[in-house]
Amino acid sequence: MPERNMTRRRVLGIGGTLGAMAVTGLATSAKLSRRPAATGAQLRSAVPLPPPYQVPLPIPAVVKPVDTSAGVDRYQITQRETTLEILPGVTTSAWTYGGTFPGPTIESRRGRPVTVTHRNELPVPTVVHLHGGHTPAASDGYPTDLVMPGGWQQTPHTMAGMGGMSDPRAVTSRLTRDYTFPLDQRPTLLWYHDHRMDFTAPAIWRGLAGLHIIRDDTEEALGLPAGPRELPLMITDRAFDEHGELTYPALDGTLRKRPGVREAYLGGVFGDVILVNGAPWPLHEVDAARYRLRVLNASNARHYDLQAVTDDGRRLDLVQIGADQGLLAAPVTHPNLPIAPAERYDLIIDFAKIPVGGRVRIINRLGSGRTREVMAFHVARKATDHSRVPRVLSHDLPTWRRSDAARVRDLSFRAGRMHGRHGWLINGKPFAPARTDLTARLGDTEVWRLIADVHHPIHLHLVGFRVLSRGGKAPLPHDAGLKDTVSLRPGEAAEIITRFDGYRGRYLFHCHNAEHEDMGMMANLEVI
Amino acid sequence: MVTGWVMRALVSAHAVAIFGQPVFAGIYLSGDYDALRWHAAGANVVTSIGYVQLIAAIVVWVRLRQAWPFAATLALVAAETVQYFAGMDGALWLHLPLGVLTIVALAVLFIAVWRQPLKQAVQQAVQQPVLRPAPREENADA
Repeated sequence: MPERNMTRRRVLGIGGTLGAMAVTGLATSAKLSRRPAATGAQLRSAVPLPPPYQVPLPIPAVVKPVDTSAGVDRYQITQRETTLEILPGVTTSAWTYGGTFPGPTIESRRGRPVTVTHRNELPVPTVVHLHGGHTPAASDGYPTDLVMPGGWQQTPHTMAGMGGMSDPRAVTSRLTRDYTFPLDQRPTLLWYHDHRMDFTAPAIWRGLAGLHIIRDDTEEALGLPAGPRELPLMITDRAFDEHGELTYPALDGTLRKRPGVREAYLGGVFGDVILVNGAPWPLHEVDAARYRLRVLNASNARHYDLQAVTDDGRRLDLVQIGADQGLLAAPVTHPNLPIAPAERYDLIIDFAKIPVGGRVRIINRLGSGRTREVMAFHVARKATDHSRVPRVLSHDLPTWRRSDAARVRDLSFRAGRMHGRHGWLINGKPFAPARTDLTARLGDTEVWRLIADVHHPIHLHLVGFRVLSRGGKAPLPHDAGLKDTVSLRPGEAAEIITRFDGYRGRYLFHCHNAEHEDMGMMANLEVI
Repeated sequence: MVTGWVMRALVSAHAVAIFGQPVFAGIYLSGDYDALRWHAAGANVVTSIGYVQLIAAIVVWVRLRQAWPFAATLALVAAETVQYFAGMDGALWLHLPLGVLTIVALAVLFIAVWRQPLKQAVQQAVQQPVLRPAPREENADA
């Protein structure tokens, strides 16, 4: 029998309590949640940080081939520990390709193979992956295809990581390995980095990353800004301890046995120092002319939303001409541009209207405090500019249609348990090298529907893809062109379409939040 | 009488529809892409029922002289509208707690409209003794 004598007072009391709970709940969520959302936790540096826009922007040196005979460019790169001056007056030890961070840039021509002999003089095994490369599986840098350092004792297949599972297909070597890249693909900015099983994130953090550019005559004939007016910009974030060393929340600081990071950093590791080409908040002197910026976010977990602003608060357009996998069909103008880990954008920025002496800052709208600043350009002189940005940039983008798809796959990327710890899963499973997760036929077109719980930048090895939709709606302006990494935001889904072309073998797809990647969010794709 | 039953029917349908939303969201986040469409379609259904319920609540107010169903429905519809756009914008910090609150509110409203006939609730306040048979009547209806 219901209570018939609810007094007005009681009704108001109950209503008021429920209302108060509602308001408190929503207000708490509004106050405590990250708006905009961010997946990761920030480290704090323990050394004084330099003021922004003081250090000149370094341009990574282009490495010379040791041999160019027989139609192949051969390079040698030694991976070694060295001491760098990243922050002014502070020495920092780093793991490097060839003694610098970023590593040396490889300049290559479309269709002309490159062989890089990597020599591992680091204290741990390494393996090199050319991100965005259309590469045969043997040179794609599979995470267990390790190059062991001289004195390494452990056998790789029984390493403590990932529950000590074995990988019978691993091809390991001692000290050196040749990686051959056919580079029969659209001209673009690629990057190479360490891809060692369980330890990719800390290895990149310590400095194992470099740029690789592919060019061809068609692109060069467009008349885009070139030479000193083409700038590669590798953006990373790092943090430094009280001794000026790079700090990282690894469970095993030697990066030998136990993979993973401390619980608080499971979402990803953010630094509080923004480096561009290895320099903190650098400044670059430019002509009052058009520049081509080839931007790579090589950060482990940090997303940026880049915007160019003048000192009097005006915004400069960022004109996108290329994506991860080369030129767009036509330029796309962005007021600001979000960039997730491993994504690249080819941008034109025009300093012509900036008065000499003026400054243009590149800011990160997702940052706060010092991580809001990225770098600055100082317009030093007037100059003639013969460059142009054609209205049509390319005609060779793939035109895959949904109806071409032999298969539609649903893939979820979310948090979960792995081996009794927190981890990151694809379709409910953590990475296991010996398990084939997906099998695709060479030449087949497929549609993949990717679903994320938090931020997950999803990267496919071997192929580029196009974004068909985002959250069931049209793709965003920055999804244009051919990509190899698509940034999913919390709760978001995207549909991508691709064709598995070129090479058979075992490839990977994974989240390029490097911490997520190390903690399970990677899967095998067998192309047969 | 009819007005009261229409209100009950709408609130019930509304409740059924809204309980589908966390279900579809859960299926979607488990990796089933189609469930995103169901979640979006469910949002359309829930919000539409909400607006129809608002009209019914106005009728209840006019014919039965009861304002509280209108006030409750108005608050609910406002929350659902915000919820709709929070979902579209991916503002999960708002979408998740507001979704929970909306469901709680609708569950409370569901109990309120079924607890006693809307029509007689007015009389209850004025002439309580006459009301004694009311619960039996309600049970007989059910």
